[in-house]
Amino acid sequence: MKRVAVVGVGQTKFRTRRDDKTHPELTREAVSRALEHAGITMDDVDAFVFGTMDPFDGINCPDRWSSTAAGFGKPFMKISTGGTTGLTTGIAAYQHVASGLFDVVVAVCTQRVGENVDAQPVLNTAVDPIYERYSGVGAISVAAIQATVHMQKYGTTEEQMAWVSVKDHENALKNPYAHIQKRLSVEDVLSSPVVSSPLKLYECCPRSDGSVAVVFASGEKAEEIRDNPAWILAESSISDSYFVGDRPDLAVWDSLTIAGRRLYRLAGIDDPKKDIDVAELYSPFTIQEILELEALGFAEKGEGAGLAEEGVTFVDGDMPTNPSGGVLCTNPIGATGLVRLGEASLQVMGEASNQVDGAEVALAHAWGGTLQFHALMLVSSHKKLRR
Amino acid sequence: MLTGFLQIVLYLLINNCYISEVLLLKVGIVGIGITSFGVHKEPFYNIAYEAAKKALEDAEMERHEIDNVVLGGYDVAVGRTISNMYTAPAAGGYLKDEIRVSDDAAYALALAYMRIKSGIFDVAMVLGYGHCSETPMELVELLSLDPFFHRDLGISYQMSYAMQSYAYRMRYGIDDETAAEVVVRARKRASKYEYAHVREEVTADEVLSSEMAIFPLRKLELPPWSDGCVALILAEETIAKRISSEPVWVEGLGWHTENYYLGSRDLAELFSTKKAAEKAYKMAGCDAKDVEAAEVMDLTPYHHLMALEALGFAASGRGKEVVESGFPVNSSGGALCTNAHGTTGLFLTASLALQIRDGRDRGIASAVSGYAAQNSIVTILGV
Amino acid sequence: MVLRIEAKWEIPYVHSAGEHATKFFEALKEKKILGVKCPKCKRVLVPPRAFCERCHVDTDEWVEVKDEGVVETVTINYARFTGLPDPPYAVGIVKLDGADTGMLAYLGGVDLSDWKKAHEKLKVGTRVKAVWKDKPEGRITDILYFKPVEE
Repeated sequence: MKRVAVVGVGQTKFRTRRDDKTHPELTREAVSRALEHAGITMDDVDAFVFGTMDPFDGINCPDRWSSTAAGFGKPFMKISTGGTTGLTTGIAAYQHVASGLFDVVVAVCTQRVGENVDAQPVLNTAVDPIYERYSGVGAISVAAIQATVHMQKYGTTEEQMAWVSVKDHENALKNPYAHIQKRLSVEDVLSSPVVSSPLKLYECCPRSDGSVAVVFASGEKAEEIRDNPAWILAESSISDSYFVGDRPDLAVWDSLTIAGRRLYRLAGIDDPKKDIDVAELYSPFTIQEILELEALGFAEKGEGAGLAEEGVTFVDGDMPTNPSGGVLCTNPIGATGLVRLGEASLQVMGEASNQVDGAEVALAHAWGGTLQFHALMLVSSHKKLRR
Repeated sequence: MLTGFLQIVLYLLINNCYISEVLLLKVGIVGIGITSFGVHKEPFYNIAYEAAKKALEDAEMERHEIDNVVLGGYDVAVGRTISNMYTAPAAGGYLKDEIRVSDDAAYALALAYMRIKSGIFDVAMVLGYGHCSETPMELVELLSLDPFFHRDLGISYQMSYAMQSYAYRMRYGIDDETAAEVVVRARKRASKYEYAHVREEVTADEVLSSEMAIFPLRKLELPPWSDGCVALILAEETIAKRISSEPVWVEGLGWHTENYYLGSRDLAELFSTKKAAEKAYKMAGCDAKDVEAAEVMDLTPYHHLMALEALGFAASGRGKEVVESGFPVNSSGGALCTNAHGTTGLFLTASLALQIRDGRDRGIASAVSGYAAQNSIVTILGV
Repeated sequence: MVLRIEAKWEIPYVHSAGEHATKFFEALKEKKILGVKCPKCKRVLVPPRAFCERCHVDTDEWVEVKDEGVVETVTINYARFTGLPDPPYAVGIVKLDGADTGMLAYLGGVDLSDWKKAHEKLKVGTRVKAVWKDKPEGRITDILYFKPVEE
């Protein structure tokens, strides 16, 4: 297995709409910035991996058009796995290099949810037309049913969930690429309208337009390219069964625990709280950050809810979570997972816009489907885990 | 002894490797599952399950012995936004690592190869799904065009292939009879292949007198739209040899993407296939003369000829000589007889793998996707 | 100034339910809910499916489950989304008596105007029973909703 590192990250500013650019032009903006960050040119790139969730942009397989900006005339592969797409695109790019077939590979994800007047009909078609599509389940409902159970089982409060949103919005103010940049108080969150009970408007992500690109390089190349590459320690992904009613207990995200344990085993992590310095989690809804922190071993079951309120997950806390402002402030659905990896990489490079002091190991996560998929990647400023 | 150990340590340090490359061996196909192709009554995920089960039975394995699933197929074609939600469990992916390419599943095989070759995984289930009978595929493909420059012109997917056919025909003086002969031979072979969709034989006269569909393509020169799934189990060499006495090795892979804008391309050539083939031959360390069989994704009879040229079997415009020579091309009947959009390429690759099992030493398969074969992937298999 | 072009996707699909799901929908016409029992792990799976995802084996033993069960979770939607029902409406997961998996369904029979009060009435563990359409048509919407069983 070749050692592989992230050597460049490029993002567009995320907004509700990007009327100024076409799909490939948006892709180009992110790719150019990533190449510039790595200090390399298109000629140095051996292959591209492109991720997007197909119908959101109003173009089926928009990669075919967008490839004009992402290195046509080269090997090009398209990944799409649902909400995990961004991160599985990163995983595929990593595997391109780890296999020894390529030295420098760019993963790029573009999503234009803003072109879609309302994304919900598209999300609905993810739900089985035979049994479940007509049950009125929206994306928010899926998170809301987790919140209901977590609150009843562990006594998680509305205030505790609101604190997650306050923290993410505070962080997003420091991230020039974040979509929503607005300071919120706990009262602001609590008094926002209930969308899908118990979740309120400010506990839910926006829909964002934008693109992100991440450059992967083999060990030798990575060291040539920069002094501070973000070394990939491990990746992991998992699929649960299809039906959401099959989940044994919605108050715990057990499939994420399984995927997390596999990741830690590969990377040699004994205690995630000590060994991991910062996490970029896919939490489009407040409750999900809580469930994810618990599932990944950063908190005991039922005790994740208090972490934001206690300051633990703030950027200067013991377990900084989503210092970029997270998915709650920026959600270009199929690109979101790759933003997590990009931000995690910048943290261990020491170049993040909202830098966690001395971050050496960072975790990137994404989930997808109706609570069906997870993907994880772990990056470090060192080639191996150092304790 | 100690020196040898130090050498390995040094090697690892210098080369930035976790695992010595000495341990990273070949990747082989150890299980093949192909469902019938045609119009299915069952939903695509149940067909996918059938393919996966067949591949596991073929390999005499249990689901638990695979460590990841790599899927290939299109969302809009099957009418589900995240179609891997259905096919991941069908492929045996429950609580296992999962990924999907949203392209022809021939790309899924390449990704599975890299996942194993890197040492990250040992055994992968590759599953391709295509299900064309539930919606008009022309409309689905039309929506892949940008809404500004191309979509309003109403260019169907087949029209883009017809434009290539016409360009090729005109440049090299290919006549109707040559194209008809390709169809006659394809149908003849499909009639003997149990998995093929369209298996009725036709005569050259029937092809030539069938109605003009999209100039220059006649009705019988167009592929069908099929439903069906293909599953292949890939394993790292040492494990592959324990599972199977006859693994089919993945020797070469190459893929390439051309310009989206049709006006910027030479339509009389399959340039993406040509570039993909160059890479695959380089990786396999061989060339066309070392290959004993080919499966090409011939969405038209002209693409049959163009693909053979792109793969190096003939000079430009001379593909028909390969057809006349009797060289085994498309023993499966090819895409002209079986075309489940999303897994047509993997169907051909799996069909090639069966031929390698039956005694051929080395074969090559090519697949295309996108308007006018924008993307192409080439796979070389051998013993 | 940039040009904006309006577009709308209308793609017709005819989705086949397959033999297993067809049997389930046929039974709904008689106000019966069917599940399948996995021959290996013995779980009763509702809605029924042709194979057990965990065991990767065919499922062909049919079991009738009750149209009564317990609420596993609930949420009430108050926002308007294209293609979704008019708000407010409640959706949850109900584990029917005799089934080992939950089923996504509408919940109702309670005032939804105040979500906290409604959640109180549809608490996790609440026993609920199906309210059927007068003339079921063999669609999932034949079960209008599940409502709390009066003690």
